[in-house]
Amino acid sequence: MTNPPISAALAGRRILVTGATGFVGEALLERVLFDLPDTRVVLLVRPRGGISAEERVANLLRGAAFGRLRERDGDEAIGTLIGDRIEILAGDLDDIPALPADIDVVVHCAGEVSFDPPIDEGFATNLHGTLNLLAAIEASGARPHYVHVSTAYVAGRQQGHIREGRLDHNVDWKYEAELASQLRDRIELDSRTAERLAEFSGEAEKQHDVTGATSVSAEAEKRRAAWVAKALVDAGRERGRSLGWTDCYTFTKAMAERAVEETAGHLPVTVLRPSIIESALQQPFPGWIQGFKMAEPIILAFGRGDLPEFPAIPDGVLDVIPVDLVVNATLAAAAQTPEPGEPAYYTICSGARNPLRFGRLYELVREYFIEHPMVQRDRGEVKVPQWNWPGSARVGQLIRIAERAQRTADRVVTSMPRSNRTRGWAKSLDRQKGRIEFLRRYFDLYQPYTEAELHFTDDATFALHSALHPDDAERFGFDVTVIDWRHYLQDVHVPAVVTPMTTLQAMRGPRPEPTRTIHLDQPDVVAVFDMDGTLLSSNVVEAYLGLRLPELGLAAKAREVGEVARALPRWLATERRDRSAFLRMVYRRYEGASVAELERIVDEQLTASMLTRLAPAAVRAIREHRAAGHRLVLVTGAITPLTRPIAALFDEIVAAELQVDASGRCTGLLQRPPLVGESRASWLRHRANEAGWDLAASYAYADSASDLPLLRAVGHPVAIDPDVVLSRVARKERWPVELWHAGTAPKREALVAAR
Amino acid sequence: MSRPGFVLTVDERTPPLLMHSGESFRLQEFPLGSRVVYPPESLPGLVDVDEAIEQALLNPIDSEPLTALLRPGMKLTIAFDDLSLPLPPMRKPDIRQRVIEHVLQHAADAGVDDVELIVATALHRRMTGAEIKAVVGERVYRSFWPDHLYNFDAEDRANLAHLGTTEQSEDVEISKRAAESDLLVYVNVNLVAMDGGWKSTAVGLASYNSLRHHHNAHTMIHSRSFMDPRHSELHSSAWRMGRILGEHVKVFQIETTLNNDAFPSQYGFLTKREWEWSLRDQATFLGAKRGIDLLPSKQRRRLFQGMEAPYAVTGISAGAVEPVHAQTLERVHRQQLVEVDGQADVLVMGLPYLCPYNVNSVMNPILAACLGLGYFFNMYRNKPLVREGGVIILNHPVPWEFSTLHHPSYVDFFDEVLAESTDPKVIGPKFEQQYATDPWYTHLYRTSHAYHGVHPFYMWYWCAHALDHVGQVIWVGGDRRSVARMGMRSASTFADALELARDTVGSSPSITYTHNPPHLLADVR
Repeated sequence: MTNPPISAALAGRRILVTGATGFVGEALLERVLFDLPDTRVVLLVRPRGGISAEERVANLLRGAAFGRLRERDGDEAIGTLIGDRIEILAGDLDDIPALPADIDVVVHCAGEVSFDPPIDEGFATNLHGTLNLLAAIEASGARPHYVHVSTAYVAGRQQGHIREGRLDHNVDWKYEAELASQLRDRIELDSRTAERLAEFSGEAEKQHDVTGATSVSAEAEKRRAAWVAKALVDAGRERGRSLGWTDCYTFTKAMAERAVEETAGHLPVTVLRPSIIESALQQPFPGWIQGFKMAEPIILAFGRGDLPEFPAIPDGVLDVIPVDLVVNATLAAAAQTPEPGEPAYYTICSGARNPLRFGRLYELVREYFIEHPMVQRDRGEVKVPQWNWPGSARVGQLIRIAERAQRTADRVVTSMPRSNRTRGWAKSLDRQKGRIEFLRRYFDLYQPYTEAELHFTDDATFALHSALHPDDAERFGFDVTVIDWRHYLQDVHVPAVVTPMTTLQAMRGPRPEPTRTIHLDQPDVVAVFDMDGTLLSSNVVEAYLGLRLPELGLAAKAREVGEVARALPRWLATERRDRSAFLRMVYRRYEGASVAELERIVDEQLTASMLTRLAPAAVRAIREHRAAGHRLVLVTGAITPLTRPIAALFDEIVAAELQVDASGRCTGLLQRPPLVGESRASWLRHRANEAGWDLAASYAYADSASDLPLLRAVGHPVAIDPDVVLSRVARKERWPVELWHAGTAPKREALVAAR
Repeated sequence: MSRPGFVLTVDERTPPLLMHSGESFRLQEFPLGSRVVYPPESLPGLVDVDEAIEQALLNPIDSEPLTALLRPGMKLTIAFDDLSLPLPPMRKPDIRQRVIEHVLQHAADAGVDDVELIVATALHRRMTGAEIKAVVGERVYRSFWPDHLYNFDAEDRANLAHLGTTEQSEDVEISKRAAESDLLVYVNVNLVAMDGGWKSTAVGLASYNSLRHHHNAHTMIHSRSFMDPRHSELHSSAWRMGRILGEHVKVFQIETTLNNDAFPSQYGFLTKREWEWSLRDQATFLGAKRGIDLLPSKQRRRLFQGMEAPYAVTGISAGAVEPVHAQTLERVHRQQLVEVDGQADVLVMGLPYLCPYNVNSVMNPILAACLGLGYFFNMYRNKPLVREGGVIILNHPVPWEFSTLHHPSYVDFFDEVLAESTDPKVIGPKFEQQYATDPWYTHLYRTSHAYHGVHPFYMWYWCAHALDHVGQVIWVGGDRRSVARMGMRSASTFADALELARDTVGSSPSITYTHNPPHLLADVR
């Protein structure tokens, strides 16, 4: 039996397409416009990011996929397509506008593309979206042929042959959907129990780049939101798995199929189940692909040498199908209207007739990269990995070991004293971490697919192909046995994936390190400097001892040093937790000291050692700001007398003010809270507001993670000899990093005290 | 009887020769035929220094005795050389202390109440209280510090006096207190021929406004050398200024000279001729060399900076500046002058750990260059020891190390100025003003212990004559980065340095090595 030509069967018809901006939808639209001149389309498109639905479609028509259409018909003809052959409905699956009553075919391509969406979102898009669409069709009065694009993997974790037909399960999709929609509230409630909230705050406090109450609470809330999102994702995946599916995606897709079967009994229904859809074999041109799908990141990672092993068995099948074959099958199926109540099922896959095994895939891709190696910037060609297929259990174990090692190394590096070497270690650890996270993500994602020993059968699809009109066999054929995997992978698919990446890389070139530029001729600009660790290589405890010891007698000196040494571990632990509390602990020890005496000691004994520690580069930066007419501000948690040696460099100094009793002696308390962490940023904002400073044009220089709020408060932050945490933030945000205390700094121990 | 200076020609029997190299020293073999200039041995010191001081004060040259110049109600100012002299610092009591105590005794006897003592630092760093105490002694320090004994401040506009200009339009601007005194007594230590005379007062108590006229590349290129006042533009200018100063204030100059006992007796090998080293000298050399090289940098620096020289005083002259200085120079020459016959293609010098500007501090690369190309190169009369277009080989590690306390502007000079040009004639007009007037450098000069912002320029101008005269400068064992920054070359060994020099002076150059310190002044015929 031979079917009539597709173009004839669909001539004069109107096809509603959802998801036309997606991968399959776009390919489908192109084929209709290119090969079915007498067919009109209606597109349901969601306006996005201020771009209207029309504009989105117009943009689409200007894209690469429509190149051959523009070439054949001319740009002018393309311009009139919208209106002539394309009707655009602006809307969304949860807010569908009234549909025209004369729709003949509906192709529902839209759906959730993520494999593990939060459970409520998975149901909302895949199930409720479908139900909404069916309701809108019902309301329009049309009785179209409903073509539902599902996935071959709705078969879930079954083993053996999977036939085309109604899925064999009796999960109550309505009940599942109902409960899934309640889960968000439940989990949101769960995340708000006192225990959980305390846990989030506790974790936030431990984080090194968090300083002060506001950022702790912001971080805790971020963690809570992340916890909710993860719980919803977990709920989706685990519910899917508990019922025999691989993940939330296939689970909700299967639920949607059942919903269609049960609610669209009065319509002719076709269910299409493509496997993993990859780049086009022929049309619109070989290698056309939109964005990155499932296999591309893996191929690129392999080419970059970042994928040392893979959790698959070499004779397992990766069921890949080129997008144009899916489009052909969809059009062929759409042209054949089944009886209402008797849905037609087509599995569009390669596994049944022309299986691509992992071992073969690996060989072909490896050959490609050996022939066309990727080039790493300044490092020459990448060595292509060789896989030994140790099995997914072993790969999982390797990844776990790597993760654990990475975490340990990270803890060590973060708590090590800052230096160029530790910053370098942190940088390579971060690179390593990125690699391990990538492996973990893809391991989790792929594992069910590589483990599942599914054998799809595609007899119905093959029959559909065999029944194509002879005129269509060439143009609309979808016989997977014609695919030569070597040709497809080495000449079509892998080059299509790799070439844009390498040209992009070549165009971008090496990224220059961010550098500090001081802009002239801007009014109301300030340059804020932190003192300890930024201008000077010293710290509060050292300064305390330097100040207090000269005042004390020999025995008292020894006692003082001893007490400080004993207190040191406690102080350091406090500093990690709360710098303000730490400063207060140190400053308590100033109790009884005379301010005049402290000032005298600073002038006579500490000035020399402080000036010796003052970074020449710091003075140069200050000089540059001064020349540019900027206001210079020193912000420090140190006590005011300690700022005396460098006071002349600044217009304004904010330091810790010791409280003094009537006799001029320190009480050990402060007049106002020490300016650390967040309070620096809020002080700066307040002062800027008062004085009319332009913070967006201003500069801040600091050395530690506790200064992040200060650095973030200005437009030009600069990290000076940063600790590991700050150096990571600086790298990520592309802040200039300068080393003021390394290299040119004098060896201070080599300096002899004046006789 | 001490032996005069001596020029050795290296032959088969010559042992390896001692050479200074920063905070270390080593034995170096020289090619046959190389000439080595040894300073004269130490002259005997005065037997009774106090008696000599008293004699000088009471029987001055071309002046009334000090006692006749003192009267009640007068304003007396005593200025004296700072810690840049002598080098190494003198074992206590410092000769300045002894002279000042005598002067103060006479002033007290004459009923003089208004006495101030000023350290003639010019643009050098302020001395610390402890450093001043070491020079003037406990008694003077306790009585006068800090209100009546203090460092000169060349940036204290209110306390400077502009006395006019010389016939060559040079500003004479010095300490107001000194200029307005009824008597200005200057106490000097004349270590080398450059020191003393009008340079003491007209330079030591002057401001930048005054100093800029002679501390510049042009003057220094035309001071040949600045160790020979008669042929030094620097000194001509200072003498012109001094005469203006002399018109305003009565100056009573006291100049003292020291012998060549520059090192403590345990380092006796440093002042002996190597072939005369006893077994004991050889053992101490080996022990000291090993020990010093093993010491951590802090201890090594402390050891060197802690050295005090057991100098003996060879003479004291007092009275009118110019005749006093003539006597002084004669004594300096007697101790340091060595006749050398003709110039060499290559001049080799070993630079010790100390120069006038790193006492209790760090010898940074600029100071090392200044010590070699400024001071040591200029230790000549008539003509340089090296021919024009010849090569200078210096021995020093030149570490990239600075004291940000004492030399803050040096760090920036090294990073910013020398990175752009090393030509003294270029950098002066372009950068000097900016450094001389920088408010932070000025603040540190006035309140901390920093050399004036302009001081690194002066150090580089000091090198101008040598840089102008020779074809190449090579540092043996110098830090490559530091040496390259100064536009020079470094070699790992002396042999490599000679190899590098071949491009300039050929494969068998004549070589002269000056075996100092102790100081020598080469009279090149």
